[in-house]
Amino acid sequence: MVEAFAVASGKGGTGKTTSTLALGMALAEEHDVTVVDADTGMANLLFHTGLSDAEPTLHDVLVDGGATVEEATYERFGMRVVPCGTSLAAFEAADPERLTDAVAELAADTDVLLLDSPATLGSKAAVLPVVLADRAVVVLQPTVPALSDGLKVQEYALSYGTGVAGVLFNKVRDGAGVAEQAERYFEGPTLAEVPDSEVARAARSAGEPLLAHAPDSAAATAFREAADKIDVQAGDGAAVADRFRSAVVPDPP
Amino acid sequence: MIEVPNGDLRASRVVADAATPLADALDRQLTGYVVLRPAEPIATDDGAGVVTMEDGVPVVAYHDGTDRGGPAALGPLAGPGPYRAELYATDAAALEPLHRAEELRVDPGAPAEQVADAPELAARARERAPADRDAPETDPVEAFLDDEERVEAIKERARAEAERRASEWGFDEVVE
Repeated sequence: MVEAFAVASGKGGTGKTTSTLALGMALAEEHDVTVVDADTGMANLLFHTGLSDAEPTLHDVLVDGGATVEEATYERFGMRVVPCGTSLAAFEAADPERLTDAVAELAADTDVLLLDSPATLGSKAAVLPVVLADRAVVVLQPTVPALSDGLKVQEYALSYGTGVAGVLFNKVRDGAGVAEQAERYFEGPTLAEVPDSEVARAARSAGEPLLAHAPDSAAATAFREAADKIDVQAGDGAAVADRFRSAVVPDPP
Repeated sequence: MIEVPNGDLRASRVVADAATPLADALDRQLTGYVVLRPAEPIATDDGAGVVTMEDGVPVVAYHDGTDRGGPAALGPLAGPGPYRAELYATDAAALEPLHRAEELRVDPGAPAEQVADAPELAARARERAPADRDAPETDPVEAFLDDEERVEAIKERARAEAERRASEWGFDEVVE
């Protein structure tokens, strides 16, 4: 039984990876959670999970005769984590066709699959996680570019039959009330307004997810509240796996 | 429509993001204005924006495609880039009539923050701004979210783009 979520933002710098791992850790209290760095062109999940030196990674799974998904899966912070490497050569050698198989295999054996998605809608491969997921979590920060890109991600998701699990406002300063104003334009509920804080950066430097690094911080509390609002609707694992396997094949990078 | 004084062209180029010309203006301590024309405007906001500068610090903003001024002029300029950017120098006196229009004023850091998503550049512009500079009352994010027509236009355009690309990319089967 699995529900796949694309954690997406349309633009970089919104704290998408921090959010993915925070939601993952919070959801892991009740569910089996697998987190995948689906941003294979600009991977950074490894830096947030102390896996900078991990070998093999998803890149190695995506090459002909490479590692198995199992070998690239690490038990960290109560979750299964599939990091991706950062080498450009490895990215170029990777065959995106294999991503759907890799994700299908993971989907068959977890409750919640979180796909940390690329921060762009610029290519077929970048949009793929949003297409494959059951629902998207849209991560925003209260700026005009982030809001307009978040709206775009939402409309892409809805166009491709992917629901919206909710909207997460990140890096919010002085409780700006932006969420209240923005709510009417988004399909899902506001999951949380996460205050801007140094702890997210400190956690990243320490190579730990925010919820492990500063579990009592206001930001961590907000992320846990967000996870509580996501009502996981685990579908049939085999059906989801089939959907991934039969999904369209993205262009090579 | 507003009247922008003629200036001497100091730079004209295509840039990947809006931070480059704004940083250039700040570094040159430009008194004049920057014209920004997004190659891929969000929604249907074709047109160019003008941000006037005093010693490199933004003062007023205006977008000709939507005829919006002040913080509301910045939203139509936000986009993925690239931009055609032009820097013009003028006398400070030539800008005075424009700078008296309170409704066109923007926070000194707002163009960098809201158009270029460059908080460090925004902080530099704010630091450089004279202490007596009045900040506008309207926040650009609030102005953006108040503009229902524009937000709906962004959504419609994204949907059309997603559907068009679905056929290009072979996502047809998954599109409802």
